[in-house]
Amino acid sequence: MPPAGIWIDGLIQSCIYMTMAFGMVLVFSILGILNWTHGQFYMLGAFVVYYAFTAVGIPFPVAMLIAGVVVGGLGMLVEKLIIERVNIPSAQGALYVTVATMALIFFFEGAASMLFGMQEKGLAMVFPGVLDLGSLSVSYQKIAVIIFTLIIMTAMYIMLNRTKVGLAIRAAAQEPDAARLYGISVKRTSLLVMGIGCALAAMAGSIMAPVYAINPFIGRIPMIMSLLAIIIGGLGSLTGAIVGGIILGFVNSVVAYRLSYFSEVVLFAFVIVLLLVRPQGLFGTPLK
Amino acid sequence: MRRIFDYKTLIPRWIAVLLAVPFIILPLFTTNLATLSMIILSGIWAIAAMGFTLILRTGQFSLGQAAFMAIGGYTSAILTVKLGWPFWPSFLLAGVVAGIIAMVIGSVVLRVGGVYFSIITLALGEVIRIVAMQWEPVTRGSRGLITGPPDPIPLGVFEINFAVSAVPYYYFMIVLVAVTGVIFWQIGRSRLGGTFFSIAANPILAEHQGIHLMKYRVIAFTIAGVFTGFAGSYYAHFLSTMTPYMLGLWESIQIMIMSIVGGVSSLVGGPLAGALVLYALGIYLSRLPVYGIQQLLFGTAVVAVLLFMPKGTGLVDLWDKFWRKVFREPEFYEIPSVE
Amino acid sequence: MKRWYNIATMVVITVMVLGVAWAPRPAHAEEPSIIKIGVPTAMSGPAAAWGQAGKAAYETWVEVFNKAGGFRVGDKTYHFQVIHVDDKNSPEGGAAAAKQLIYGEKVKFLAGHWTWNFPAIAAVSNPAKVIFMTRTGNEAVPGGVYNPKKMPYVVFANPSHEQFTSDCLAITKAFPKYKKIGILDCTLGKGIGWDYVDAALDKEGVRYHHEWFPVGTQDFAPYITRFAEAGCDIVYVAGWIGEAMAFAKQRWEMGYKDMRVGHSGPFITPLAYLGVCGKEAAQGFIGQYWACWDFKVTKVKRTYVKMCKEVMEILSEKQGKPFVYTGWIGWLPSHLLILSQAMEKAGTVDDPDAIMEAIRGGTFETTTGTWTMSGAETYGSPIVFGCPSALSTIKGDKEVYLSEYPMKPLP
Repeated sequence: MPPAGIWIDGLIQSCIYMTMAFGMVLVFSILGILNWTHGQFYMLGAFVVYYAFTAVGIPFPVAMLIAGVVVGGLGMLVEKLIIERVNIPSAQGALYVTVATMALIFFFEGAASMLFGMQEKGLAMVFPGVLDLGSLSVSYQKIAVIIFTLIIMTAMYIMLNRTKVGLAIRAAAQEPDAARLYGISVKRTSLLVMGIGCALAAMAGSIMAPVYAINPFIGRIPMIMSLLAIIIGGLGSLTGAIVGGIILGFVNSVVAYRLSYFSEVVLFAFVIVLLLVRPQGLFGTPLK
Repeated sequence: MRRIFDYKTLIPRWIAVLLAVPFIILPLFTTNLATLSMIILSGIWAIAAMGFTLILRTGQFSLGQAAFMAIGGYTSAILTVKLGWPFWPSFLLAGVVAGIIAMVIGSVVLRVGGVYFSIITLALGEVIRIVAMQWEPVTRGSRGLITGPPDPIPLGVFEINFAVSAVPYYYFMIVLVAVTGVIFWQIGRSRLGGTFFSIAANPILAEHQGIHLMKYRVIAFTIAGVFTGFAGSYYAHFLSTMTPYMLGLWESIQIMIMSIVGGVSSLVGGPLAGALVLYALGIYLSRLPVYGIQQLLFGTAVVAVLLFMPKGTGLVDLWDKFWRKVFREPEFYEIPSVE
Repeated sequence: MKRWYNIATMVVITVMVLGVAWAPRPAHAEEPSIIKIGVPTAMSGPAAAWGQAGKAAYETWVEVFNKAGGFRVGDKTYHFQVIHVDDKNSPEGGAAAAKQLIYGEKVKFLAGHWTWNFPAIAAVSNPAKVIFMTRTGNEAVPGGVYNPKKMPYVVFANPSHEQFTSDCLAITKAFPKYKKIGILDCTLGKGIGWDYVDAALDKEGVRYHHEWFPVGTQDFAPYITRFAEAGCDIVYVAGWIGEAMAFAKQRWEMGYKDMRVGHSGPFITPLAYLGVCGKEAAQGFIGQYWACWDFKVTKVKRTYVKMCKEVMEILSEKQGKPFVYTGWIGWLPSHLLILSQAMEKAGTVDDPDAIMEAIRGGTFETTTGTWTMSGAETYGSPIVFGCPSALSTIKGDKEVYLSEYPMKPLP
């Protein structure tokens, strides 16, 4: 039985993968595309929060919101300027969007390297300190991650199920043509969803910035992990993203504790088997 | 009245052949290793990109092609280094082994379509890298294998000696690219190629017409695997090293980008154009002293090509456009791609 | 009369001016010849921090070295010139960088190399008879991939795995009551080099435990737990800065405050560690120490100490704040000193075979002590010994000397 520290670690990982996966699935369900730049928005969120906090002195929670807005805006820009123009309505459209978003990975990593430098930066001074629970201690930063995830997920739930905007989003995702008949601009809703999805990634990056270090390459692994999470949960399913994130987070920590570096192989082998046996994941719609 | 010579297709073809001439006589003007090796490596990536485009022609999108290069590379490296085989049989076997593995994997994995197939190939690529790293007794793990140059080829009085200069490597690469190019071109024009199109264009209709989908997908995947294996083997012997981290996810992404930017409408010209342009661009960018700008400009260049080229085309279609302007053909042109 | 006088004056002045303009230049203070040194190093990608930190320091040191007179072979003076090229820490990048340096920039020597692409660069440099000075490592461990017959122009001017053994011994000196040293490395570094280290550590009676993490890991909780369960009270990370910082921070937060953490690499600046790990978690962090003026056991030539200090001053002034990185001292400067002394001994700068002959088995004065190269009998090719493992630790916001363990020269 892994010690409590491992379970808490798994919880933190789950929170982040969940948030990232949620953002990715939102974008997928309306725009029908996998945004490979998602990880880069995570990285940019961390940098925005770093400079907002250290250089300008903005209090951290506000800095996080700023990161969300700025990077969300950047995401909307990317969508408008690039994705829309590249996404031709055919099977090839998805291909070109994939290539474009992958090229953007290089673009953002290069830009971040040039602007911010490649040296590790830290935000250890944010929420410093540790909560002692007897044999176990948890840093306040990690507790902040858990609280953040709860808040965000609740906010998302409320927005999607209780507000008009959420209704519009759900309608546009499920039945775009019917939604148009009701006067919902699918185009504008898509743009908004892209902004929300990227803002989620940015805020995930911000809240994790004090926990780990910040450098231009921190976006790669979260990207792959959120991809795996939505595969496990099922493409297009919001619940699936949450469940997939939770499973992935805990499995990763526990397997790494037991098997050390073999956790990589286990994870990929599991995904391959899953895709062969049940490609739609846990909650996705079955393929024909 | 039918023209005897269709000059509109003939002249561009002849000019294309003429374009190859500077490449063939380049070593007479310079044996600068830096220049030659840039073209040799572009050729190797071009072959891998051709494989990617072929698979794409059947409607599948593989993010694991670098792994087949790794399989080819490791096969010939292990055969030459550990078993002491000479280069040429190892090279051939590298392609065969990569092809067989492609066939086996393809039969299992090609059932799944679309984005799921891409993710599986991505995961498989990573698994192969991890296996190469862990299987110490065979692959020497992270240390990798140091390969040697191909053995000298005696030609009567002469001897083509690879160990002495890069020129033999260069000509072998030209031959390899030419052979691969011709084979792929023929496939593209043949009935097989036509079948690939129909599978990608409309799988349901194709199935109703009696075409066995899986069979053709696996065929394309295997052919691509064989030639990508050759490319990988040559890569390992040219760099004289084969390590698990040389050919991973990011290299597969590179191959994909070269193919798409070059233009998927052409099986041979597209990947060649894409690989040459992007690889040369990469080399020149890496000489800039500002670090980070290389990635930035590379990403920008790719996105720019995608944005500013008409939807669905790549660099190689500029060639087509140019000749139509010369012969004053109407702007209409069919994108023989999957629609 | 006055007219002749004027004409004569003008003729004399004209002749003087023409004479000065056309007179052959006397061979005054011979212009020193330049020896170009190529440095293929990581300037982009995750390992770039080290490559970039070293660049300014190397260029400044070469300036100081040249100003102090360079070196003389025969009756000619020589100066160095370093050219950095990004090798992207990959075989393809390394081969391209080597080709650009050798065939584009026409360098005759490659030095200061530490990235993970030794075979690819050696494949380019050896046929061109360019002497390649690098470090040992998994790929270059003798009896491993390296073959002295096929690669005659390679000098292992920094012994990395051998030094790692000495690092562990320096730790045991600093913490004689330790229970077990934990050794953490990325899976990238797994290989035969560690077998050598383990054998050497076993011989000295050091207790240790290995763990490996996959590339890109940021979450070290599983590994911290495993080390704790194995009874390690010191964890030494083999050469990964960001990961070591993350490890230090996370182990503090998980409650393992007594577990000491370090990495086998120099500190770029202690402030970065304070920023990433937190002021308290970063205290006592161990790193490699190259500031030769602080060594207790190893003796370094006074002139070299002065030169290094001068470089630090110049760079501090240039960047407006104190330049505290010292990791560069034991790398390229030592390589160049070995090279120049070997050339002096061999009496030539153009004959690579003669220079290699002078290096093998030779003893050289470097910026971090007196080093002896292994001879033909041992290892078959030059590997340097005598390079001290000196460790430092973070105290407050400064880097402070901790302990030292010089490597014994081989017969």
